[in-house]
Amino acid sequence: MRTDDLIAALAADATPEPALAARAWLVPAAVALTAALMVVTLGLRAGLGAALADPLIAAKTVLPALVALGAGWVALRLARPGARAGWPARAHWRVQGVADGLVAAPLAGNPAADWPALLLGDTLVACLVTVPVLSALPFAAGLAVLRRGATTRPALAGAALGLASGGMAAALYSLHCTEDNPLFYVTWYGTGIAIVGLAGWLAGPRLLRW
Amino acid sequence: MRDTTGSAAPDLSALLRAANAGDAAAYAAFLRAVAPVVRGVVRARGRSAIGEAGCEDVVQEVLLAIHLKRHTWRDDEPVRPWLYAIARYKVVDAFRARGRRIDLPVEDFAEVLPAPAGPDPTEARDVEKMMAMLEPRSADILRGIGLKGETAAEVATRLDMTEGAVRVALHRGLKQLAALRKRHVE
Repeated sequence: MRTDDLIAALAADATPEPALAARAWLVPAAVALTAALMVVTLGLRAGLGAALADPLIAAKTVLPALVALGAGWVALRLARPGARAGWPARAHWRVQGVADGLVAAPLAGNPAADWPALLLGDTLVACLVTVPVLSALPFAAGLAVLRRGATTRPALAGAALGLASGGMAAALYSLHCTEDNPLFYVTWYGTGIAIVGLAGWLAGPRLLRW
Repeated sequence: MRDTTGSAAPDLSALLRAANAGDAAAYAAFLRAVAPVVRGVVRARGRSAIGEAGCEDVVQEVLLAIHLKRHTWRDDEPVRPWLYAIARYKVVDAFRARGRRIDLPVEDFAEVLPAPAGPDPTEARDVEKMMAMLEPRSADILRGIGLKGETAAEVATRLDMTEGAVRVALHRGLKQLAALRKRHVE
C-alpha cells in the first residue's frame, strides 16, 4: 500500500477518538473508593475534627493534597505531545519549602538527643507501606486517562502521576495517622510519595507507550 | 514557528482545524502536506540504515500515529510544535524498534527539505504484512477506500453492509493496524 493510499484511507476515517478527558471521571471515583477503603480498614483518627483545627496537623493533610493537585495537573499537561511540565512543577518547590519550614519547629523546640525518636516515630513502617498501597487505585485511574493521550515524555509523565497518586494517598492516610510531629510526617510522607513517584518514573516509559 | 499561509507552506493549523470539524478534503491535504516533511527527515537520518522502503514504513507509521492522536491537539495552539513532537517521538521509536538508535533534534522537521514520494512506487512493505493479519473484511475495506478510491457508501454496497458499519470497521481496522505494528516490530 502506497503512502498516498494510506492517506486516502485515513482521510476517509471520520470517527473521532474520544477526547483526552473522556475518562477523567475515573480519577475522583478512584480517590473516593480509596478513601472509603481507608476509612473501613484503618479508620479515621479519634477527634479528627478537633485535630484539623491545629494548623500543624492540618498541614499534614493539606501539603500532600497540594502535591497531588500540582503533580496531577503536570501529568495531564504532559499527556499532550511536546508539552512541558511548566509552572506547576516549579510551584512544587514552594510546597517543599513550606514542608521544610515546618520541620524547623520540632528541631528548635526539642533537644538534639530527642530528634531521632521524633524522626522515627512509632508507625514508620505502616506509613511507608500504606501510602504506596493507597496510591494504587488513583494511579491506575490516572494511567487510564493518560493513555488516551500521547505523551512524548513518558518517564516524566509517569513520575508526575506517581507523585499525584502518592500525594493523594498520603493526604488520605493523614486522616488516620496520629503522628503529628512535622519531623515525622514531612520525612516519611515525603518518602512514601517519592517511592510512588519513582515507581511511576520507572514504569512510565513502558505503561505510557503508544 | 512558521505557520503562515503561502504557496510553499500550507497553513497546517487551518487545515487540521477544518479537518477536525469534519472536512475530509482538508484532512487529506493536511496529511499530504505532512508526509513529505516526515519523509525528508526519516530519509536524511535513516536511508542508509533501513533503506528507502524501510523509510516509507516509518513515514506511514508516523501518519497513522498522527491520525489516531489528532484529538490531543488543542486547536488554539500552533500545530507544528505538536506535530513535530509526535513525529519525532514516533520516528525515534520506530528506529529503536528496528534496533537503531538515532539522535533526532526536533528542529530537523523545520529545517530538512521535504521529500516527495519519488518516481518509483515506494511501496511500504510492513503495511502489507499487517494488512494480512487484519480481519479479511477490515483489510478489504481499507483496500477499497485506500487503493481503489471507493467511498464508504460504495464499499457498503459492495460488501452488503450499512455505511455506518463500514465507517466503524474502517476506524477499527486503522487502530488494529497501529497496534499490530507496535507488536510486530517490538
